[in-house]
Amino acid sequence: MTVDTWLLAAAGAHLDGAVAAARTLGGRVTVVAVGPHALAEAAATAAPDEVRWVETPDGEPAEAWAAAVGAEVAAAAPRVVLSPADPASRALLAAAAVPLGAALVSRVLALRAEDDALVVDRVSLGGAVVETLAVSGPLAAVLDDRDGTTAAAPPAPVTAWTPAAAPAAVQVKREPAPGAAAGVRDAARVVSVGRGLRSKDDLAVVEPLLAALGAELGCSMPMADDLGWVPKERYVGRSGQHIAPRLYLALGISGMPQHMEGVRDAKVVAAVNSDPAAPIFRTADYGVVGDLYEVVPALVRALGAPPA
Amino acid sequence: MRAVVVHAWARSAAGAVVHADGGVEWRNARPVAGEDDPAAVTAALALAGADGEVVGLTLGDADPSWSLARGAARAVRVTDAPIADDEGTTAAVIAAAVRSVADVDVVVVGDSEEHPGVAAAVGAALGWPVVTGIVSASPSGAGIEAVRPSGDVQETLLVPCPAVLGVVAEGAEARTPGMKEQLAARKRPVLTTTLAELGVPELAAPSTVQVRGTRLPDQATTRVFEGHADETARQLVAALRAEGVL
Repeated sequence: MTVDTWLLAAAGAHLDGAVAAARTLGGRVTVVAVGPHALAEAAATAAPDEVRWVETPDGEPAEAWAAAVGAEVAAAAPRVVLSPADPASRALLAAAAVPLGAALVSRVLALRAEDDALVVDRVSLGGAVVETLAVSGPLAAVLDDRDGTTAAAPPAPVTAWTPAAAPAAVQVKREPAPGAAAGVRDAARVVSVGRGLRSKDDLAVVEPLLAALGAELGCSMPMADDLGWVPKERYVGRSGQHIAPRLYLALGISGMPQHMEGVRDAKVVAAVNSDPAAPIFRTADYGVVGDLYEVVPALVRALGAPPA
Repeated sequence: MRAVVVHAWARSAAGAVVHADGGVEWRNARPVAGEDDPAAVTAALALAGADGEVVGLTLGDADPSWSLARGAARAVRVTDAPIADDEGTTAAVIAAAVRSVADVDVVVVGDSEEHPGVAAAVGAALGWPVVTGIVSASPSGAGIEAVRPSGDVQETLLVPCPAVLGVVAEGAEARTPGMKEQLAARKRPVLTTTLAELGVPELAAPSTVQVRGTRLPDQATTRVFEGHADETARQLVAALRAEGVL
Protein backbone atom coordinates (compact mmCIF):
# COMPACT_ATOMS: atom_id res chain seq x y z
CA MET A 1 0.00 0.00 0.00
CA THR A 2 1.28 3.45 -0.86
CA VAL A 3 -0.25 6.44 0.82
CA ASP A 4 -0.38 10.02 -0.42
CA THR A 5 0.55 12.51 2.27
CA TRP A 6 -0.03 16.19 2.84
CA LEU A 7 2.40 18.07 5.03
CA LEU A 8 1.12 21.34 6.50
CA ALA A 9 3.87 23.71 7.55
CA ALA A 10 4.06 27.23 8.91
CA ALA A 11 7.73 27.11 9.91
CA GLY A 12 10.81 26.05 8.02
CA ALA A 13 12.69 24.06 10.64
CA HIS A 14 12.93 20.28 10.30
CA LEU A 15 11.03 20.11 7.00
CA ASP A 16 13.64 17.79 5.51
CA GLY A 17 12.95 15.31 8.29
CA ALA A 18 9.21 15.75 7.87
CA VAL A 19 9.31 15.12 4.13
CA ALA A 20 11.53 12.10 4.74
CA ALA A 21 8.93 10.74 7.19
CA ALA A 22 6.21 11.25 4.59
CA ARG A 23 8.30 9.53 1.92
CA THR A 24 8.28 6.29 3.91
CA LEU A 25 4.62 5.86 2.99
CA GLY A 26 5.55 5.63 -0.66
CA GLY A 27 2.96 7.98 -2.12
CA ARG A 28 2.85 11.53 -3.38
CA VAL A 29 3.99 14.19 -0.90
CA THR A 30 2.35 17.60 -1.08
CA VAL A 31 3.52 20.40 1.19
CA VAL A 32 1.23 23.29 2.00
CA ALA A 33 3.50 26.11 3.17
CA VAL A 34 1.64 28.95 4.92
CA GLY A 35 3.91 31.94 5.41
CA PRO A 36 6.50 33.99 3.57
CA HIS A 37 7.99 32.88 0.25
CA ALA A 38 11.18 31.86 2.02
CA LEU A 39 9.18 29.17 3.79
CA ALA A 40 7.91 27.81 0.48
CA GLU A 41 11.48 27.78 -0.85
CA ALA A 42 12.69 25.92 2.24
CA ALA A 43 9.91 23.39 1.77
CA ALA A 44 10.82 22.96 -1.90
CA THR A 45 14.43 22.11 -1.07
CA ALA A 46 13.20 19.21 1.07
CA ALA A 47 12.07 17.74 -2.27
CA PRO A 48 8.42 16.82 -1.86
CA ASP A 49 6.47 16.33 -5.09
CA GLU A 50 4.95 19.78 -4.94
CA VAL A 51 4.66 22.83 -2.72
CA ARG A 52 1.51 24.87 -2.49
CA TRP A 53 2.27 28.27 -1.06
CA VAL A 54 -0.28 30.29 0.88
CA GLU A 55 1.15 33.77 1.25
CA THR A 56 0.62 35.56 4.55
CA PRO A 57 1.06 39.33 4.53
CA ASP A 58 2.92 41.07 7.33
CA GLY A 59 0.81 41.11 10.44
CA GLU A 60 -1.12 37.97 9.59
CA PRO A 61 -0.04 34.73 11.31
CA ALA A 62 -0.45 31.35 9.66
CA GLU A 63 -3.17 30.55 12.20
CA ALA A 64 -5.43 33.05 10.44
CA TRP A 65 -5.53 30.62 7.51
CA ALA A 66 -6.00 27.44 9.55
CA ALA A 67 -9.70 26.87 8.92
CA ALA A 68 -9.50 27.85 5.25
CA VAL A 69 -6.48 25.65 4.55
CA GLY A 70 -7.84 22.80 6.64
CA ALA A 71 -11.09 22.73 4.70
CA GLU A 72 -9.29 22.62 1.35
CA VAL A 73 -6.95 19.86 2.47
CA ALA A 74 -9.82 17.83 3.89
CA ALA A 75 -11.68 18.18 0.61
CA ALA A 76 -8.81 16.31 -1.06
CA ALA A 77 -9.50 13.46 1.39
CA PRO A 78 -5.91 12.41 2.03
CA ARG A 79 -5.34 9.37 4.23
CA VAL A 80 -2.49 11.09 6.04
CA VAL A 81 -1.79 14.69 6.98
CA LEU A 82 1.34 15.64 8.86
CA SER A 83 2.81 18.72 10.48
CA PRO A 84 5.92 19.82 12.32
CA ALA A 85 5.42 20.56 16.00
CA ASP A 86 5.55 24.36 15.99
CA PRO A 87 2.34 26.04 17.21
CA ALA A 88 1.10 27.44 13.90
CA SER A 89 1.70 24.20 12.00
CA ARG A 90 -0.27 22.32 14.64
CA ALA A 91 -3.19 24.71 14.14
CA LEU A 92 -3.13 23.99 10.40
CA LEU A 93 -3.01 20.24 11.01
CA ALA A 94 -5.88 20.23 13.51
CA ALA A 95 -8.00 22.31 11.16
CA ALA A 96 -7.61 19.58 8.53
CA ALA A 97 -7.92 16.68 10.97
CA VAL A 98 -11.35 17.61 12.28
CA PRO A 99 -13.21 17.77 8.95
CA LEU A 100 -11.31 14.67 7.81
CA GLY A 101 -12.46 12.78 10.89
CA ALA A 102 -8.85 11.79 11.32
CA ALA A 103 -7.29 10.36 14.43
CA LEU A 104 -4.80 12.86 15.81
CA VAL A 105 -1.52 11.51 17.19
CA SER A 106 1.48 13.53 18.35
CA ARG A 107 5.22 13.18 18.85
CA VAL A 108 5.41 10.81 15.92
CA LEU A 109 8.84 9.42 15.07
CA ALA A 110 8.06 7.17 12.11
CA LEU A 111 5.19 5.92 9.98
CA ARG A 112 4.69 2.91 7.76
CA ALA A 113 1.84 1.29 5.89
CA GLU A 114 1.01 -2.32 6.74
CA ASP A 115 -1.86 -3.89 4.83
CA ASP A 116 -4.72 -1.47 5.41
CA ALA A 117 -3.35 0.01 8.61
CA LEU A 118 -1.00 2.88 9.25
CA VAL A 119 1.53 2.00 11.89
CA VAL A 120 2.98 4.82 13.93
CA ASP A 121 5.88 4.93 16.37
CA ARG A 122 5.66 7.81 18.77
CA VAL A 123 7.38 9.18 21.84
CA SER A 124 5.39 8.47 24.99
CA LEU A 125 5.72 9.03 28.72
CA GLY A 126 8.08 11.93 28.24
CA GLY A 127 10.47 9.85 26.19
CA ALA A 128 10.60 6.87 28.54
CA VAL A 129 9.12 4.60 25.87
CA VAL A 130 8.30 4.43 22.19
CA GLU A 131 4.69 3.45 21.65
CA THR A 132 3.52 1.69 18.50
CA LEU A 133 0.00 2.45 17.32
CA ALA A 134 -2.06 1.02 14.49
CA VAL A 135 -4.51 3.45 12.91
CA SER A 136 -7.30 2.06 10.78
CA GLY A 137 -8.71 5.32 9.40
CA PRO A 138 -7.41 8.71 8.35
CA LEU A 139 -4.45 9.94 10.36
CA ALA A 140 -3.26 13.39 11.35
CA ALA A 141 0.18 13.27 12.94
CA VAL A 142 2.27 15.92 14.66
CA LEU A 143 5.84 14.90 14.01
CA ASP A 144 8.48 14.90 16.71
CA ASP A 145 10.81 17.36 15.03
CA ARG A 146 13.89 15.62 13.75
CA ASP A 147 16.41 16.69 11.19
CA GLY A 148 16.63 14.63 8.04
CA THR A 149 19.41 14.47 5.54
CA THR A 150 19.35 17.12 2.88
CA ALA A 151 17.40 15.82 -0.08
CA ALA A 152 19.47 14.86 -3.11
CA ALA A 153 16.52 15.38 -5.44
CA PRO A 154 15.95 18.73 -7.15
CA PRO A 155 13.68 21.25 -5.41
CA ALA A 156 9.95 20.75 -5.87
CA PRO A 157 7.87 23.19 -7.91
CA VAL A 158 6.18 25.92 -5.90
CA THR A 159 2.76 27.20 -6.89
CA ALA A 160 0.83 29.99 -5.20
CA TRP A 161 -2.40 28.75 -3.66
CA THR A 162 -5.30 30.76 -2.35
CA PRO A 163 -7.91 28.84 -0.37
CA ALA A 164 -11.52 29.68 -1.17
CA ALA A 165 -12.40 30.79 2.34
CA ALA A 166 -11.17 34.04 3.83
CA PRO A 167 -8.66 34.09 6.68
CA ALA A 168 -9.79 34.63 10.26
CA ALA A 169 -9.19 38.03 11.79
CA VAL A 170 -6.11 37.00 13.76
CA GLN A 171 -3.22 39.44 13.72
CA VAL A 172 0.33 39.36 14.93
CA LYS A 173 2.92 41.93 15.91
CA ARG A 174 6.51 40.77 16.01
CA GLU A 175 9.32 42.41 17.94
CA PRO A 176 12.67 41.31 19.29
CA ALA A 177 12.18 39.05 22.27
CA PRO A 178 13.18 40.48 25.66
CA GLY A 179 16.66 39.27 26.38
CA ALA A 180 17.27 38.48 22.74
CA ALA A 181 20.52 40.36 22.96
CA ALA A 182 21.77 38.03 25.67
CA GLY A 183 24.63 35.97 24.41
CA VAL A 184 23.14 32.57 25.12
CA ARG A 185 20.97 32.63 22.02
CA ASP A 186 23.71 32.94 19.45
CA ALA A 187 26.66 31.54 21.37
CA ALA A 188 28.81 28.86 19.80
CA ARG A 189 29.27 27.26 23.20
CA VAL A 190 26.87 27.26 26.14
CA VAL A 191 27.44 25.85 29.61
CA SER A 192 24.22 25.42 31.57
CA VAL A 193 23.74 24.78 35.25
CA GLY A 194 20.93 22.93 36.99
CA ARG A 195 19.92 21.78 40.41
CA GLY A 196 23.25 20.04 40.87
CA LEU A 197 24.60 23.47 41.79
CA ARG A 198 24.24 23.85 45.54
CA SER A 199 24.12 27.65 45.92
CA LYS A 200 24.07 30.84 43.92
CA ASP A 201 27.58 31.64 45.15
CA ASP A 202 28.74 28.42 43.51
CA LEU A 203 28.20 29.99 40.10
CA ALA A 204 31.76 31.18 40.73
CA VAL A 205 32.85 27.55 40.32
CA VAL A 206 31.58 27.63 36.74
CA GLU A 207 33.04 30.97 35.72
CA PRO A 208 36.56 29.70 34.97
CA LEU A 209 35.05 27.04 32.71
CA LEU A 210 32.99 29.67 30.87
CA ALA A 211 36.18 31.66 30.35
CA ALA A 212 38.18 28.63 29.23
CA LEU A 213 35.55 27.62 26.70
CA GLY A 214 34.55 31.11 25.63
CA ALA A 215 31.03 30.01 26.52
CA GLU A 216 27.87 31.74 27.65
CA LEU A 217 26.02 30.70 30.80
CA GLY A 218 22.63 29.02 30.46
CA CYS A 219 20.45 27.21 32.96
CA SER A 220 17.53 24.88 33.50
CA MET A 221 14.12 26.24 34.47
CA PRO A 222 14.38 25.97 38.28
CA MET A 223 17.57 28.02 38.32
CA ALA A 224 15.83 30.95 36.64
CA ASP A 225 12.34 30.43 38.04
CA ASP A 226 12.16 28.88 41.51
CA LEU A 227 15.63 29.90 42.64
CA GLY A 228 16.25 33.01 40.56
CA TRP A 229 20.00 32.44 40.54
CA VAL A 230 20.37 33.02 36.78
CA PRO A 231 18.58 35.69 34.69
CA LYS A 232 15.42 34.36 33.09
CA GLU A 233 16.60 35.12 29.55
CA ARG A 234 19.29 32.49 30.02
CA TYR A 235 16.82 29.72 30.77
CA VAL A 236 17.05 27.00 28.11
CA GLY A 237 14.07 24.77 27.49
CA ARG A 238 10.66 24.35 26.01
CA SER A 239 9.25 27.68 27.19
CA GLY A 240 12.66 29.38 27.28
CA GLN A 241 15.51 29.70 24.86
CA HIS A 242 15.78 27.27 21.96
CA ILE A 243 19.43 27.35 21.00
CA ALA A 244 21.73 25.69 18.50
CA PRO A 245 25.30 26.01 19.81
CA ARG A 246 28.13 23.89 18.52
CA LEU A 247 28.68 22.68 22.09
CA TYR A 248 26.15 22.47 24.89
CA LEU A 249 27.56 21.36 28.23
CA ALA A 250 25.00 20.63 30.94
CA LEU A 251 26.23 20.67 34.54
CA GLY A 252 24.05 19.07 37.17
CA ILE A 253 21.04 18.94 34.87
CA SER A 254 19.00 15.74 34.88
CA GLY A 255 17.89 16.11 31.26
CA MET A 256 14.12 16.14 31.45
CA PRO A 257 12.45 16.43 28.02
CA GLN A 258 11.25 19.93 28.85
CA HIS A 259 14.86 21.08 29.08
CA MET A 260 16.31 19.01 26.24
CA GLU A 261 13.78 20.42 23.79
CA GLY A 262 15.67 23.71 24.02
CA VAL A 263 18.94 22.16 22.80
CA ARG A 264 17.59 19.79 20.20
CA ASP A 265 19.52 21.64 17.51
CA ALA A 266 22.87 21.71 19.35
CA LYS A 267 25.67 20.05 17.42
CA VAL A 268 27.20 18.28 20.42
CA VAL A 269 25.62 17.84 23.85
CA ALA A 270 27.79 16.87 26.81
CA ALA A 271 26.73 16.42 30.40
CA VAL A 272 28.26 16.19 33.84
CA ASN A 273 26.06 14.58 36.47
CA SER A 274 26.69 12.62 39.62
CA ASP A 275 23.73 10.33 38.96
CA PRO A 276 24.64 7.62 36.41
CA ALA A 277 20.91 7.01 35.87
CA ALA A 278 20.17 10.63 34.96
CA PRO A 279 18.05 10.80 31.80
CA ILE A 280 20.56 13.14 30.18
CA PHE A 281 22.94 10.20 29.81
CA ARG A 282 20.40 8.66 27.44
CA THR A 283 20.30 11.65 25.11
CA ALA A 284 23.64 13.45 25.31
CA ASP A 285 26.54 12.71 22.99
CA TYR A 286 29.04 12.62 25.84
CA GLY A 287 28.66 12.25 29.57
CA VAL A 288 30.84 12.40 32.62
CA VAL A 289 29.57 10.69 35.75
CA GLY A 290 30.93 12.72 38.62
CA ASP A 291 30.56 15.59 41.04
CA LEU A 292 30.50 18.82 39.07
CA TYR A 293 32.48 20.47 41.87
CA GLU A 294 35.35 18.12 41.04
CA VAL A 295 34.82 17.73 37.31
CA VAL A 296 34.49 21.42 36.43
CA PRO A 297 37.93 22.43 37.81
CA ALA A 298 39.35 19.32 36.15
CA LEU A 299 37.82 20.40 32.83
CA VAL A 300 39.44 23.82 33.20
CA ARG A 301 42.79 22.14 33.78
CA ALA A 302 42.29 19.81 30.83
CA LEU A 303 41.32 22.67 28.54
CA GLY A 304 44.49 24.48 29.54
CA ALA A 305 46.63 21.51 28.72
CA PRO A 306 47.92 21.06 25.17
CA PRO A 307 46.07 18.47 23.07
CA ALA A 308 47.44 14.97 23.49
CA MET B 1 -15.33 37.57 29.84
CA ARG B 2 -16.24 33.93 30.51
CA ALA B 3 -13.26 31.63 30.31
CA VAL B 4 -13.32 27.86 30.41
CA VAL B 5 -10.07 26.36 31.67
CA VAL B 6 -9.55 22.73 30.74
CA HIS B 7 -7.40 20.73 33.13
CA ALA B 8 -6.51 17.19 34.08
CA TRP B 9 -7.53 15.72 30.74
CA ALA B 10 -4.71 13.19 30.44
CA ARG B 11 -2.85 10.68 32.53
CA SER B 12 0.48 11.67 33.99
CA ALA B 13 3.65 9.79 33.13
CA ALA B 14 4.28 9.77 36.88
CA GLY B 15 1.45 7.26 37.19
CA ALA B 16 3.16 4.73 34.93
CA VAL B 17 5.87 2.21 35.65
CA VAL B 18 8.12 1.27 32.74
CA HIS B 19 9.44 -2.26 33.02
CA ALA B 20 12.81 -3.43 31.79
CA ASP B 21 11.24 -4.92 28.66
CA GLY B 22 9.65 -1.58 27.78
CA GLY B 23 6.21 -2.62 28.93
CA VAL B 24 4.12 0.02 30.67
CA GLU B 25 2.02 -0.58 33.75
CA TRP B 26 -0.33 2.15 34.86
CA ARG B 27 -0.39 2.34 38.66
CA ASN B 28 -2.50 5.50 38.54
CA ALA B 29 -4.49 6.05 35.39
CA ARG B 30 -6.57 8.87 36.81
CA PRO B 31 -6.26 12.10 34.81
CA VAL B 32 -4.26 14.66 36.74
CA ALA B 33 -3.29 18.28 36.16
CA GLY B 34 -0.45 18.64 33.69
CA GLU B 35 2.58 20.87 34.15
CA ASP B 36 1.04 23.55 31.93
CA ASP B 37 -2.36 23.52 33.65
CA PRO B 38 -1.45 26.05 36.38
CA ALA B 39 -0.38 28.50 33.68
CA ALA B 40 -3.68 27.87 31.91
CA VAL B 41 -5.60 28.78 35.08
CA THR B 42 -3.52 31.92 35.52
CA ALA B 43 -4.27 32.98 31.95
CA ALA B 44 -7.97 32.19 32.34
CA LEU B 45 -8.20 34.29 35.51
CA ALA B 46 -6.38 37.17 33.82
CA LEU B 47 -8.76 37.03 30.88
CA ALA B 48 -11.94 36.75 32.95
CA GLY B 49 -11.00 39.65 35.19
CA ALA B 50 -12.93 40.69 38.25
CA ASP B 51 -16.22 40.94 36.37
CA GLY B 52 -15.92 37.68 34.50
CA GLU B 53 -16.11 34.02 35.36
CA VAL B 54 -13.76 31.07 35.08
CA VAL B 55 -15.34 27.66 34.60
CA GLY B 56 -13.21 24.59 35.18
CA LEU B 57 -13.63 21.64 32.83
CA THR B 58 -12.20 18.23 33.40
CA LEU B 59 -12.62 14.66 32.21
CA GLY B 60 -13.17 11.19 33.62
CA ASP B 61 -12.51 10.76 37.32
CA ALA B 62 -10.23 13.78 37.58
CA ASP B 63 -10.66 16.11 40.54
CA PRO B 64 -12.64 19.23 39.56
CA SER B 65 -11.66 20.95 42.81
CA TRP B 66 -8.18 21.48 41.35
CA SER B 67 -9.37 24.47 39.33
CA LEU B 68 -11.97 25.52 41.90
CA ALA B 69 -9.23 25.91 44.51
CA ARG B 70 -7.35 28.15 42.07
CA GLY B 71 -10.16 30.56 41.39
CA ALA B 72 -12.71 28.89 39.11
CA ALA B 73 -16.26 29.72 40.16
CA ARG B 74 -17.77 26.43 39.06
CA ALA B 75 -16.75 23.28 37.25
CA VAL B 76 -17.95 20.75 34.72
CA ARG B 77 -16.78 17.13 34.67
CA VAL B 78 -17.52 14.70 31.85
CA THR B 79 -17.65 11.52 33.85
CA ASP B 80 -17.43 8.93 31.06
CA ALA B 81 -14.90 10.70 28.85
CA PRO B 82 -12.48 8.10 27.53
CA ILE B 83 -8.76 8.43 28.13
CA ALA B 84 -8.00 8.43 24.45
CA ASP B 85 -4.84 7.66 22.49
CA ASP B 86 -6.45 9.77 19.80
CA GLU B 87 -6.03 13.43 20.75
CA GLY B 88 -8.80 14.27 18.33
CA THR B 89 -11.26 12.32 20.47
CA THR B 90 -10.08 14.10 23.61
CA ALA B 91 -10.51 17.43 21.85
CA ALA B 92 -13.97 16.48 20.59
CA VAL B 93 -15.11 15.65 24.13
CA ILE B 94 -13.74 18.95 25.40
CA ALA B 95 -15.41 20.85 22.58
CA ALA B 96 -18.76 19.18 23.27
CA ALA B 97 -18.51 20.11 26.94
CA VAL B 98 -17.58 23.70 26.08
CA ARG B 99 -20.70 23.94 23.93
CA SER B 100 -22.76 22.98 26.98
CA VAL B 101 -21.51 26.09 28.82
CA ALA B 102 -23.34 29.21 27.71
CA ASP B 103 -21.64 32.29 26.30
CA VAL B 104 -18.03 31.16 26.46
CA ASP B 105 -15.57 33.78 25.24
CA VAL B 106 -12.36 31.81 25.52
CA VAL B 107 -11.19 28.27 26.21
CA VAL B 108 -7.75 27.93 27.79
CA VAL B 109 -5.93 24.61 27.59
CA GLY B 110 -2.48 23.70 28.88
CA ASP B 111 -0.41 23.25 25.72
CA SER B 112 0.92 19.88 26.77
CA GLU B 113 4.27 18.72 25.46
CA GLU B 114 3.06 15.12 25.58
CA HIS B 115 -0.19 15.85 23.74
CA PRO B 116 0.47 18.98 21.66
CA GLY B 117 -2.42 18.36 19.30
CA VAL B 118 -5.23 18.73 21.82
CA ALA B 119 -5.43 22.51 22.24
CA ALA B 120 -5.32 23.08 18.48
CA ALA B 121 -7.94 20.40 17.87
CA VAL B 122 -10.28 21.92 20.45
CA GLY B 123 -10.19 25.12 18.42
CA ALA B 124 -10.77 23.25 15.18
CA ALA B 125 -13.65 21.25 16.66
CA LEU B 126 -15.33 24.42 17.88
CA GLY B 127 -14.57 26.29 14.68
CA TRP B 128 -12.86 29.04 16.67
CA PRO B 129 -9.48 30.66 16.08
CA VAL B 130 -6.76 28.94 18.06
CA VAL B 131 -3.26 30.01 19.02
CA THR B 132 -0.91 27.84 21.03
CA GLY B 133 2.50 28.17 22.63
CA ILE B 134 1.15 31.18 24.56
CA VAL B 135 2.86 32.35 27.76
CA SER B 136 0.49 35.17 28.79
CA ALA B 137 -2.82 36.65 27.73
CA SER B 138 -4.98 39.65 28.51
CA PRO B 139 -8.27 41.10 27.23
CA SER B 140 -7.96 43.57 24.37
CA GLY B 141 -11.11 45.27 23.16
CA ALA B 142 -13.46 42.58 21.93
CA GLY B 143 -10.67 40.04 21.74
CA ILE B 144 -7.53 38.76 23.36
CA GLU B 145 -3.91 39.81 23.25
CA ALA B 146 -1.71 36.75 23.63
CA VAL B 147 2.08 36.65 23.88
CA ARG B 148 4.20 33.90 22.39
CA PRO B 149 7.98 33.57 22.22
CA SER B 150 9.20 32.42 18.83
CA GLY B 151 12.96 32.17 18.50
CA ASP B 152 14.49 35.63 18.50
CA VAL B 153 11.06 37.18 18.25
CA GLN B 154 8.22 37.82 20.64
CA GLU B 155 4.86 37.55 18.93
CA THR B 156 1.85 39.43 20.21
CA LEU B 157 -1.24 37.86 18.72
CA LEU B 158 -4.58 39.64 18.55
CA VAL B 159 -7.34 37.05 18.47
CA PRO B 160 -11.07 37.72 18.20
CA CYS B 161 -13.40 36.00 20.64
CA PRO B 162 -14.54 33.32 20.96
CA ALA B 163 -11.13 31.68 20.76
CA VAL B 164 -9.00 28.88 22.11
CA LEU B 165 -5.58 29.42 23.69
CA GLY B 166 -2.94 26.78 24.33
CA VAL B 167 -0.81 28.03 27.20
CA VAL B 168 2.72 26.94 28.05
CA ALA B 169 4.12 27.21 31.58
CA GLU B 170 7.23 29.34 31.95
CA GLY B 171 7.92 27.97 35.39
CA ALA B 172 6.58 25.85 38.19
CA GLU B 173 3.37 26.91 39.89
CA ALA B 174 4.22 29.92 42.05
CA ARG B 175 1.84 29.12 44.86
CA THR B 176 -0.35 26.11 45.49
CA PRO B 177 -3.71 26.64 47.18
CA GLY B 178 -3.82 26.47 50.95
CA MET B 179 -6.27 24.55 53.10
CA LYS B 180 -8.72 27.46 53.22
CA GLU B 181 -8.91 27.62 49.43
CA GLN B 182 -9.26 23.87 49.13
CA LEU B 183 -12.13 23.82 51.60
CA ALA B 184 -13.84 26.69 49.81
CA ALA B 185 -13.43 24.82 46.52
CA ARG B 186 -15.47 21.91 47.81
CA LYS B 187 -18.44 24.21 48.34
CA ARG B 188 -18.44 25.44 44.74
CA PRO B 189 -20.80 23.84 42.22
CA VAL B 190 -19.66 20.95 40.06
CA LEU B 191 -21.86 19.83 37.20
CA THR B 192 -21.29 16.21 36.21
CA THR B 193 -22.35 15.24 32.74
CA THR B 194 -21.95 12.41 30.26
CA LEU B 195 -21.15 11.99 26.60
CA ALA B 196 -24.79 11.09 25.96
CA GLU B 197 -26.01 14.20 27.74
CA LEU B 198 -23.61 16.26 25.67
CA GLY B 199 -25.01 14.72 22.51
CA VAL B 200 -21.82 12.91 21.55
CA PRO B 201 -22.36 9.26 22.59
CA GLU B 202 -20.33 8.15 19.57
CA LEU B 203 -17.16 9.40 21.26
CA ALA B 204 -17.38 6.42 23.61
CA ALA B 205 -17.00 4.03 20.67
CA PRO B 206 -13.71 2.18 20.15
CA SER B 207 -11.13 4.43 18.56
CA THR B 208 -9.49 3.84 15.18
CA VAL B 209 -6.23 3.98 17.13
CA GLN B 210 -5.07 0.76 18.77
CA VAL B 211 -1.95 0.38 20.89
CA ARG B 212 0.24 -2.45 19.63
CA GLY B 213 2.82 -2.12 22.35
CA THR B 214 5.65 -0.12 23.81
CA ARG B 215 9.40 -0.54 23.85
CA LEU B 216 12.34 1.24 25.33
CA PRO B 217 13.78 3.96 23.09
CA ASP B 218 16.81 3.16 21.05
CA GLN B 219 19.84 3.76 23.19
CA ALA B 220 21.55 6.99 22.34
CA THR B 221 25.17 6.54 21.47
CA THR B 222 26.23 8.42 24.54
CA ARG B 223 29.88 7.98 25.40
CA VAL B 224 29.99 8.03 29.17
CA PHE B 225 33.23 8.55 31.06
CA GLU B 226 33.50 7.36 34.64
CA GLY B 227 36.37 7.45 37.06
CA HIS B 228 38.67 10.08 38.54
CA ALA B 229 37.67 13.66 37.71
CA ASP B 230 40.97 14.55 36.03
CA GLU B 231 40.88 11.48 33.84
CA THR B 232 37.22 11.86 32.80
CA ALA B 233 37.75 15.56 32.14
CA ARG B 234 40.75 14.77 29.95
CA GLN B 235 38.73 12.18 28.04
CA LEU B 236 35.82 14.57 27.51
CA VAL B 237 38.06 17.41 26.32
CA ALA B 238 39.82 15.06 23.90
CA ALA B 239 36.47 13.89 22.54
CA LEU B 240 35.21 17.44 22.12
CA ARG B 241 38.41 18.45 20.36
CA ALA B 242 37.95 15.50 18.02
CA GLU B 243 34.41 16.72 17.33
CA GLY B 244 35.82 20.11 16.40
CA VAL B 245 33.63 22.02 18.86
CA LEU B 246 36.41 23.48 21.02
